[in-house]
Amino acid sequence: MQTFPPNNNGEGSSRGYQTLGSPPEGFEQQPPNNWKGVFSVSSYTQYFNVDTDIVINRMMSSFYPIGGDFFSKIDANPDLYGLIWISTTLVFVLASLGNCATYLIQKRADSSASWSFDVGYVNVAACAIYGYAIVVPLAFYFLLQYLGTNASLVRFWCMWGYSLFIFILSSFLLVIPVEVLRWIIILAAGIDSACFVAVNLKSCVEGNDLTIVVFAAFFLQLALAIFIKAWFFP
Amino acid sequence: MSHSDTIPLHASSQSDIDEIENLINASVQSAPATVLPARPPSPPRIPVSSSPFIQSNLPPLPPSAQKPSSVPSVPAAPPPPPGNSHSNIGVSGFGSPPNTLTEPVWDTVKRDLSRIVSNLKLVVFPNPYREDPGKALRDWDLWGPFFFIVFLGLTLSWSASVKKSEVFAVAFALLAAGAVILTLNVLLLGGHIIFFQSLSLLGYCLFPLDVGALICMLKDNVIVKVVVVCVTLFWSSWAAYPFMSSAVNPRRKALALYPVFLMYVSVGFLIIAID
Repeated sequence: MQTFPPNNNGEGSSRGYQTLGSPPEGFEQQPPNNWKGVFSVSSYTQYFNVDTDIVINRMMSSFYPIGGDFFSKIDANPDLYGLIWISTTLVFVLASLGNCATYLIQKRADSSASWSFDVGYVNVAACAIYGYAIVVPLAFYFLLQYLGTNASLVRFWCMWGYSLFIFILSSFLLVIPVEVLRWIIILAAGIDSACFVAVNLKSCVEGNDLTIVVFAAFFLQLALAIFIKAWFFP
Repeated sequence: MSHSDTIPLHASSQSDIDEIENLINASVQSAPATVLPARPPSPPRIPVSSSPFIQSNLPPLPPSAQKPSSVPSVPAAPPPPPGNSHSNIGVSGFGSPPNTLTEPVWDTVKRDLSRIVSNLKLVVFPNPYREDPGKALRDWDLWGPFFFIVFLGLTLSWSASVKKSEVFAVAFALLAAGAVILTLNVLLLGGHIIFFQSLSLLGYCLFPLDVGALICMLKDNVIVKVVVVCVTLFWSSWAAYPFMSSAVNPRRKALALYPVFLMYVSVGFLIIAID
């Protein structure tokens, strides 16, 4: 059910409130109509209408691959805060910890080698993570629209964004310079995240026989995990 | 912006135009012309006030007798006091504001520098008598943040041994874009801040990291670097905390503060890692 998101901040000022002229009754599929143009900040506040505890709840629920109820959780209030800041954090973590990891491995191998900070890691991390987080949900949205399902782009972005959260935590563990352990960690994280994406995507396209799409999402997420390991923590 | 600079456009622009016209006429004629405002009547002008004004901009003219100006007088506006010189800023008999267009450059620079210092003291340094830590700067300006960002970029670039220009570019882009994005984040979360005021505050809160980067450049030991960066990081976050947290709904405080922390941590990491 589409609820008109009231901005119940408790402060009676005009900034950040949706227009009072919008129809308060929401139809089943009609999006809240407070789009004031591309360049007005208040048109985008509807996608950031979350509190701290809601965001933390959604992040925790991205750990559980079985469940498939993420879409019903975010249905009334999808947010883009998670997408933006989780992917930004992941870029920073990969760039910095990737450098730390190469430093540690070099130190282990040859303790007198000089090492310098490689700023190129930031570029690669930014392109890879932002590209994946933005393009993949977009591609799936268009694909599913073409195949007849009714999909919502914002919800796809939201889910894929939260699915990246586990990689942040596993990056901290990937600094340990033991090769076998690294592979175990990244495969575990990759499978967890891929299952999360696949199960939720399946719950979204239920009724249609689109298992190939679900498998594609699973493998893409797993490929991202392997890429992270291979490039940043070789 | 400072309130003392908000002057009624009408009178000041008129007086400025008059003064410029008078200066042009005086230099063209190159005669002992007077530099009178185009309002011969009413204010009994004090001769001594106009000559210092002239001296700062033109070859000194003899303080001749004042004859009515040949400049066509302009109607309406209340007559501004004559040649509001820098020596009697604010001490004009008619309450009109000081004339910042024609003052010496050193005065302008000095005023801006003192504003930067006072804003810095207000934002960054611990002051238990601060009236309201959450209240934003009244006299915000963007010179201070500009200097701090460029200084940090330069310091990091000097410390780097390879790819110096790329390091400067990354640091500058990270800080400038980061400040804009942080402000947008607060606005999107439904907070109430003024865009440029927030940019200004985030720029001033970079000052401790500047100090830290300078120390790290001079002393190249990893342990010292880590300690210094941690201390300055904590100081920066402490300076930015009251402002950011009071701008949003208390239930979303962490959502607004986390990106600030992320940006300062990434800058701190850049400081440690560049060697």
